[in-house]
Amino acid sequence: MKGDKLLYYSLFPFAAIVIATFILLFAVISYTSAPAIKEYGWKLFTSSAWSPSEMGPESSKYGLLSPLYGTLVSSIIAVILAFPVTISAVLVIEDYAPPRTRDLVGSLIEVMAGLPTIVYGLWGLEILAPLLKVHVYSPLHQLLGFIPLFSCRPFSGYNILTAGILLAIMVLPYMVAVARDSYRSIPMTYREAALAIGANRYEYAKIMMGMIKPGLIASALLGFGRAAGETVAVALVIGNVPLISSCILKPGYTISSLIANQFSMAPLYPYMMNVLFTGGLILLMIGVIANTVAVIMISKSRLR
Amino acid sequence: MSEKLGPVERSTLNIILMVVIGLIIVDIALRVSCCFLQGHRSLSSQVTLMGSGSTFIYPQLKHWISLFEEKNQNIVVNYNPTGSGAGQSQLIREKVVSFACSDPPLSHDTYKSVNGKILQMPVIVGAVVLVYKIPGYSGPLNLSANVIAEIYLGKIKYWDNPEIVKLNPKAKLPHIEIKAIHRSDASGTTQVFTFFLHKAAPSLWPENLVGKAINWPVDKTGRGLGAKGNQGVSEYFKTLKSAIAYVELGYALENKFSIAAIENQAGVFVKPNTTTMTAAVESALKSGLLPDSPSADWSNALQAIVYASGKNSYPIVSFSFMMVWNVYPKKKAEALKTFIEFINTIGQENVIEGYAPIPKELREINLKSVNIIRGT
Amino acid sequence: MDARSLKEKIFLVTIFALTALGVTPVFYVLASVIYKGIEAFTRRGIGIIVKVNGGILPAIMGSFALSILSTVIGVVLAFVAGLFVAEFPNSRISKITKVASRSLLEVPTVLLGMLVYILLVVPTGHFSLLAGAIALALVMLPYVMVHVEQALESVPQIYREAGYSIGMSRAQVLFGITVGIAKRGIASGILMGFAKAMGETAPLLFTIGAARSSLPCSIMSPGDAVPLMIFQYAQMPQEYYHDLAWAGSLVLVIVFLLVFVIVRKLIKEVKY
Repeated sequence: MKGDKLLYYSLFPFAAIVIATFILLFAVISYTSAPAIKEYGWKLFTSSAWSPSEMGPESSKYGLLSPLYGTLVSSIIAVILAFPVTISAVLVIEDYAPPRTRDLVGSLIEVMAGLPTIVYGLWGLEILAPLLKVHVYSPLHQLLGFIPLFSCRPFSGYNILTAGILLAIMVLPYMVAVARDSYRSIPMTYREAALAIGANRYEYAKIMMGMIKPGLIASALLGFGRAAGETVAVALVIGNVPLISSCILKPGYTISSLIANQFSMAPLYPYMMNVLFTGGLILLMIGVIANTVAVIMISKSRLR
Repeated sequence: MSEKLGPVERSTLNIILMVVIGLIIVDIALRVSCCFLQGHRSLSSQVTLMGSGSTFIYPQLKHWISLFEEKNQNIVVNYNPTGSGAGQSQLIREKVVSFACSDPPLSHDTYKSVNGKILQMPVIVGAVVLVYKIPGYSGPLNLSANVIAEIYLGKIKYWDNPEIVKLNPKAKLPHIEIKAIHRSDASGTTQVFTFFLHKAAPSLWPENLVGKAINWPVDKTGRGLGAKGNQGVSEYFKTLKSAIAYVELGYALENKFSIAAIENQAGVFVKPNTTTMTAAVESALKSGLLPDSPSADWSNALQAIVYASGKNSYPIVSFSFMMVWNVYPKKKAEALKTFIEFINTIGQENVIEGYAPIPKELREINLKSVNIIRGT
Repeated sequence: MDARSLKEKIFLVTIFALTALGVTPVFYVLASVIYKGIEAFTRRGIGIIVKVNGGILPAIMGSFALSILSTVIGVVLAFVAGLFVAEFPNSRISKITKVASRSLLEVPTVLLGMLVYILLVVPTGHFSLLAGAIALALVMLPYVMVHVEQALESVPQIYREAGYSIGMSRAQVLFGITVGIAKRGIASGILMGFAKAMGETAPLLFTIGAARSSLPCSIMSPGDAVPLMIFQYAQMPQEYYHDLAWAGSLVLVIVFLLVFVIVRKLIKEVKY
């Protein structure tokens, strides 16, 4: 037993560092954002004005509403687009494809997950956005312009929808991995039972998906958290204009791209640093909440 | 050391030691590969100057740095293009860089807050140009501040407006709506452009429409479009069939856009080029509107060089400033002086497309900083 | 054909089509990077890869140094913390550690850059590779930890018991037997961490200083990294910088694919 304690205490400091890092991160972000919340209060979350001034807090206006809106909308678009593909991919990889195809699709999704985000960003900026503008957005606007979502004329490919599409591509492999895990946790007896009652492949899939519902919700939540925190790829394609519009063909902003663009100049302007950290705090909370709920969901699905 | 320590502390220490050794190995590897790859530089006497700021000046500065390092092998200059505001902030507030470059000079308030301890040197001249696209017409175009102001106010709607025709009697201009593109992000380009409109057409363009980001009257007519960055503006410009936009000269040249000639204070229509840009600064200098020391307040520099007198002056020009402190550690001070000297002598003879060199008189003013900077 | 089997057909076609659509982008991205990258190298000369000023050598060297540095810091930390969590799964500290590391996984990486900037760059007064490496180490920490934990947990209890039965201490069993058996999983975790560090951009925005006119000559000097260079150059108006960005992407993708192939050899399924 003495050896036990010894091992425990020699490994302990390193575990403590991990905990300390997280606490430190939370503490620094909260501490730095406090002055901004004190100075601007709720206005910080209800206005979209962004005009920093070197003079002082009276003459400068900060509002995080538009970046917050952009973060939420682009991430929601990403999850909505990626979700049906996630379900399909899980079924194809786990059950329906012949072994070779299965391996191929599995590897491709793993490659997708690992590609550096900046590569997606550069591709989105130079290839995807111009392509979407000509072949998708212009026809979309002409055909479905009466729907508010597509009611504005697309002057460029750099807008919230492009950010959402790019994010969907980026979070897809991650969502697939989470969903696959819970799919595999379905006991064999259940699968056999489903087949025994004579379900065809459509009905079988429906039953299986019903069983891993919490796992699917977890995969959507984790995908959402990922999408909300993504920085550089989004900063390259979203257009970086603090707008709030019901039309997703207009450019927007996200909190993380706001930080990427403005953090370096923040110390020059009173309170700007604090405001950006407040944005960081929101991102942190989105991430932690999404993660916590997802973990609860996953453990729920395991209990079955 | 091990005698007093128990096995727990020892294994913890061992692990930390592993990390430290790892870091040292990487450090040595970097030093060795540096010696190997840039062998002509001896590491011990090498001084590194780190700068950050304006992205506008980046290609020019990169060109200067490569010329400079050929001549001064023991000085390494690095520059991070993070934006003018970031440059000022990192030099003045956070003190994490040795020099900064910024398109606008220090604002009057920031200047006062540093008590003349920051030296500012305009090192290059840039121009904001009006680019146009008219269906069925590809000839030259003359514009005046009044006409541009009225387009961006939403008062002039079509290309064949009598006021535009009056400036271009030979051109066949169509009866087609003009879309006016502007920057939507806070930008120095917008500041220079709106400043010019106010100075040259004060009765049309009021002072509250001058700034880095403004509320564009033309937007309310539905003919105005905001885009982010030069890149965004250019993207919109390429999409539209009939449009006008303001961008930096280098960008217009790179994209081969049609550039308008602008009426200057003397009533002459001039196109932007090295001669007309430098001429604007020269006439500003002659009129005594620019300060004569790097430690002076340059916050009114724009007032002096925009819409300057002289029949050769291009009216919408701006500086990019290099900024340094007046005191540095000795080695760094010497290195910075060498770099400043280089930029204001040889550097001015090696200016790339899209920029113009500063006139001789200004170089001499800038070189005063070599005597002001102290090494400690 | 009855309605029921028609439904099944439509369903199958739909899921295969959606899956195909889902993986199409990876081909498109890789094809673009290879095409544009080769085009950039032919237009600007293969020499840009070894050129210091106006080339991409400083970025490549910086990325390489950063990956190794952050792997040294991050992997040791993650490895030991992972051992702790896997070995003492019922201790309260280990549960908290697990929660903290999982939460760290969801923290936007740009925040870690902000943290290191405030706590390290401003106090020391300069940007450095070390600052960037610490930020990257924090990014990869939770990933490597997950791999280490999973690899250790997958070792059957029987092996440990065999160790105890011949009188080995717990530490001896852990390092001598368990880690030995799990070493493939652990190695792949380390490699994945390395690849992750190589591809990250956001933690470097405010920490390494983007010094690309010279090579980084010590871990305390400012430096550059390929992803950071791509991010900044993609936003420059000049064609030349876009070419460098594509060239950098090609290098990055090749290194990533190499690591991926190695990891794939080590373990069956790669997780992120």
